[in-house]
Amino acid sequence: MKALIAAAALMLAAGPALAQDAGADVTFAFAVGQPTGHIMVALFDSEAAYRGEGAPVRVARLDVTGPTAIALFEDLPTGTYAMKAFHDVDGDGEMATNPFGMPTEPFAFSNNAVGNMGPAGWDRAQFVASGDVAQTIDLAH
Amino acid sequence: MIPSRRAFLTGAAALSAAVVTPDLVRAAQAAAAMPNWALATADVEADIAPRSLRLVHGRAPADLSGVLFRNGPAKFRRPGGSARHWFDGDGLVRRFAISDGQAELTARFVDTRKRRQETRLDAMVMPGFGTPGDPRAEIGSPDDANAANTSVLMAGDRLWALWEGGSPVAMDPVTLQTDDYVTLRPDLRAMPFLAHPRIEPDGRIWNLGMGGDQALVWRLSPDGTLEDASVIDLPRASYVHDFTATARHLVIVLQPWVRERQTMPFADGFAWRPETGTQILVVDKADLTQRRIFETEAFGFFHLGDAWTEGGDILFDLALHRDMDFAARGATEVIEGVPLDGEAARLGLIRLKADGSTELTRSPVIAEFPRSDPRRAGLSRRLSLHTTADSPDTPFARAIAVTDWSNGQTRTFDFGPDHVVDEMVYVPRPGAPDEADGWLIGPSLNLAARASELHVLDIAHIEDGPVATWRADVALPAAFHGTWAG
Repeated sequence: MKALIAAAALMLAAGPALAQDAGADVTFAFAVGQPTGHIMVALFDSEAAYRGEGAPVRVARLDVTGPTAIALFEDLPTGTYAMKAFHDVDGDGEMATNPFGMPTEPFAFSNNAVGNMGPAGWDRAQFVASGDVAQTIDLAH
Repeated sequence: MIPSRRAFLTGAAALSAAVVTPDLVRAAQAAAAMPNWALATADVEADIAPRSLRLVHGRAPADLSGVLFRNGPAKFRRPGGSARHWFDGDGLVRRFAISDGQAELTARFVDTRKRRQETRLDAMVMPGFGTPGDPRAEIGSPDDANAANTSVLMAGDRLWALWEGGSPVAMDPVTLQTDDYVTLRPDLRAMPFLAHPRIEPDGRIWNLGMGGDQALVWRLSPDGTLEDASVIDLPRASYVHDFTATARHLVIVLQPWVRERQTMPFADGFAWRPETGTQILVVDKADLTQRRIFETEAFGFFHLGDAWTEGGDILFDLALHRDMDFAARGATEVIEGVPLDGEAARLGLIRLKADGSTELTRSPVIAEFPRSDPRRAGLSRRLSLHTTADSPDTPFARAIAVTDWSNGQTRTFDFGPDHVVDEMVYVPRPGAPDEADGWLIGPSLNLAARASELHVLDIAHIEDGPVATWRADVALPAAFHGTWAG
């Protein structure tokens, strides 16, 4: 169980969102437990990329200064997406783990999906963006 | 036409009756073959509101006052899927309060994330010790699968429900309302915490959290705040349900049931390797890097008694199993009502000698759930309380015993074939320093009356039976472990 959950540790790179043609706007409102650090967000447009076999289509690094932080991904082509995020509460750029390798900083997936002894799979986290999408994601626990 | 609510409900009932799942067939087959002790692993459907118990025998000692908290699994089966193993049911915390000669019972399920998810799905979906789990389970942390069903610990003004693979769950000790999972330090979130902490006479709490061939050593102050948490390496990835301690040492028994695979259910990852014997790791409490390893013959075990020293030797008693077949297989049979063909556990005494050798003494006495005087934890003592039986035919005890290590004698009271006897705790008589001057307190399940009972026995006269017995108007299944708060 532990190794599988440890494998859920998210390795996200930070970078600017790229403007694209007019399309769907996808907004994630993250509810956090502590107003510190950053939230690392990665958005994927395929199951393979989401599994780690490709790059995210968009990433964001949000400063956390209050109870909520917003990620806005604009002008996405119509399609199926899934999102991974973790709250780097201590701002050290890494997902903290306990001595047995379990994540101790909050992580979440689109749809607030939860996995089964591992990261939530594409089947649970995927959503369709054919128009604007807004989700509230729980990063408080 | 808008269907009436009654028509809708009737239709829904017909629909669910038409869905015959393999689980229902298994349950029906098992029910047909169940012996009467199946009540010991029956389901409890709802919390038990506070109620008085009826005195049915004797009278309570005038100076006896306190609360017995106990925990054990009490919900195994749901229409969409059932737990496959006795260790995987939902924890029901029982509160038996004794004062002024009266006894009262309250019991509430620990309000875990596991139980909420399974209530929503009306299926037991979580993988566990012996349950494979269902693909629908949502598990982002070990605590999502935490059944909080094994024991309880008073930590300051909170009662902690303990499992062994995740965090304690804090409850109100009066109302038994669940607060939250306990995180003792942010970087220790979701670390395992065994259901068998060792508590020094001054209240300091030692415990382990197991992670394969590593263990986290927890040290907590009496009020439950963290004093230290350090990882130590172990010589093997043995199954550790319990450890013991002297005033100066932690004693970690590493049986040859060893984790060889990361898989679910948890027990399936272990293999029985008797040819490798049993190792016993002794660690200095004051310096966890100071360690010795003793070796002895192979045995299986769940439970150890408190340890003590004689000169340079360390001694402790334990319930010796032939192997870990009960963990791997027997506890599944128990909840399915299948008779066991295993060997009952027997009382044993281990002496770790100053010269590095080990002496294991095997008693013929059937024994499980050893307990002793908490004022003597880690210190010299002679009495051990334990359940017993005069035949190994069922997995449950029907008798309670006190073994005196100063003369090797075991004194017993047999409640008879109608009773399933739980672990009992040692309660000292107020103001009495003598180890033999106290009571044994614990419940039994009266299978004939279909009711739980609470018994008080005088340790000096255990063979005379209870000095007081109260009976409840409910039957609660067998539980694992408890604690007395005087």
